[in-house]
Amino acid sequence: MSTTAATPGRAGIFFGEVGKLSAFLRRDFLTAWSYRVTFVSDFFGLILQTVTFYFVGLMVDDSVLPSYGGETASYLEFATVGIALSMFIALGLGRVARAVRSEQMMGTIESVFMTPTSPTTVQLGSVVYDLIYIPIRTAIFLTSAAFLFSLDFDLSRLGAAAVVLVAFIPFVWGLGITTAAGALTIRGSAAGMAFGVSILTLVSGTYVPLELFPAWVESFAAYNPMAIAIEGMRETLLGDAGWSRVATDVLKLLPISFASLLLGIFAFRMALRRERQAGTLGHY
Amino acid sequence: MTATAWDEPRGRQTAAALGAAAAGADAASIEAQGISRSFGDKRALDDVSLRIEAGKIGALLGPNGAGKTTLLRLFSGLVKPDAGTVRVAGLDPIADARLVRRTLGLIPSGDRTFYLRLSGLENLVFFARLHGMRRRAAIQRAREVIDEVDLTDAAAAPVRTYSHGMQKRLSVARALLTRPSVFLVDEATHDLDPAAARNVKDIVKALCRDGAAVIWATQRIDEIRGFADSVTLLSRGHVLFDGTVPELMSHSIPRRFLLRLDGGGVAGDLGERARHALRDCGSIEATAASGAGGHYTLSIDEGVVLSDALVRLAAVGVDVLACREERSEIEEAFLSLMRQEEV
Repeated sequence: MSTTAATPGRAGIFFGEVGKLSAFLRRDFLTAWSYRVTFVSDFFGLILQTVTFYFVGLMVDDSVLPSYGGETASYLEFATVGIALSMFIALGLGRVARAVRSEQMMGTIESVFMTPTSPTTVQLGSVVYDLIYIPIRTAIFLTSAAFLFSLDFDLSRLGAAAVVLVAFIPFVWGLGITTAAGALTIRGSAAGMAFGVSILTLVSGTYVPLELFPAWVESFAAYNPMAIAIEGMRETLLGDAGWSRVATDVLKLLPISFASLLLGIFAFRMALRRERQAGTLGHY
Repeated sequence: MTATAWDEPRGRQTAAALGAAAAGADAASIEAQGISRSFGDKRALDDVSLRIEAGKIGALLGPNGAGKTTLLRLFSGLVKPDAGTVRVAGLDPIADARLVRRTLGLIPSGDRTFYLRLSGLENLVFFARLHGMRRRAAIQRAREVIDEVDLTDAAAAPVRTYSHGMQKRLSVARALLTRPSVFLVDEATHDLDPAAARNVKDIVKALCRDGAAVIWATQRIDEIRGFADSVTLLSRGHVLFDGTVPELMSHSIPRRFLLRLDGGGVAGDLGERARHALRDCGSIEATAASGAGGHYTLSIDEGVVLSDALVRLAAVGVDVLACREERSEIEEAFLSLMRQEEV
């Protein structure tokens, strides 16, 4: 009766695991789609936020804003890129961090681990939908904002901006998995993540130019991956930065992103090991 | 570094494990030898051993906190033992996790094991895909098992609209997805109505007839009669009894019975006559009685046999219309063993 007869080899297992990602993707798409109102209101919320910044922008003296490609950006152009990226981080970090915890809360985590699926696949599978959805959402937001408010974005440079974003994604993902590992072992610790993201957002020049901060914040920004990514995207979308500038940003981001991802994977494995030892994986 | 249940299985280990399992005399059995497991200071299992052969149902009895669920989690590889060995179909649930999970069907005790926003069918397809089936095969298999548990009409409805019994049947369907040879069933009939409980038991019986080995953990003592082939009684993490159902019942000597009596047309209070007749061999209390007849509870003293008490009642003109044990023999044996343990 059993199905143990067929034993896939190492390559078979690998491709089998990759194939399972589409099952996770479908599961999370159907779940998101079942909340249609949330799905749609999410976009309207973003547009409303942009409208708010439009009116705030009317009060801001553009001369205090940095120039990109020799031209001073409007405050709305400046802030829209910040909003897009900070939303990207908040969503990405939050969803990655909560993905496994949600499974724990729903009581499905043990059922998932009762299948012959590797923990890496479960980790990746839990966020694969967001890894696709959030960049698409960010691109739609930037494009919609550009058309609605006649922002002077060079949309032909979206590809270059996307490259910066791709180099930045593993940083967010790694941070998310580390937070998930924390939440797995110390229930409720994910709440601290929101505070951390707020601090990071504040000192990244998301809504306010870094030049207005104390000098030490500006110095810190040189090593702050979020600040690097935001400035990189502004340079590409608002200025005339070429691929060499993109490459510089990517080279700065990649080591940090790689370290963040490694830390996340390590922390998650340790958290799972600890939960199993304690026998509390299924507890919520 | 210690291996964990979540570690990737190595290809060569997989092949070796299969070979070892195939070489085993009974590939579809469940076995634990001298298992111990603690959580902090609490000893959840202490030197527990049990064995279920292919085609047999082994009941796992015990009060809350006895260690039943911990034992099932050890068999499923979700928890690692501190000491002792566990084998499922000849395989180690930790070292051969991937293979064991293909061989094993788990029906957990809780309701919250499904994605409530998805339909029953979509849930099953998702889990089938995690078992390595391609989408088309997963859909086909999901439809088959959902038919088997009689949920066809509700297949497209979100699980959040399912009743408790329907979710339990969906759990059974999920366990059937890979046609496993070993089933771990944790409180499957808990909170189910009699018809739904019978339905689940019938499915498990049928699986057993097809050669599956089943561990049926329960607190509903009487449901094992005529169902389980063997019983393991756990209390505070250790085995109090391990044997067949008749062997378990031999621990019981019922002393309390429910009687339905009739006065037989004799004048006088029936209860008084009965109490007088039984004065030196037991006692009798009315539960729902009138002067002329009704229901009574009979308690007989040590050394007195039931027939003697009934003869005494007949001698004073009391007709015994019906007589049954107040508690079943299995329940009596269970309580007797538990009392012995407390002493």
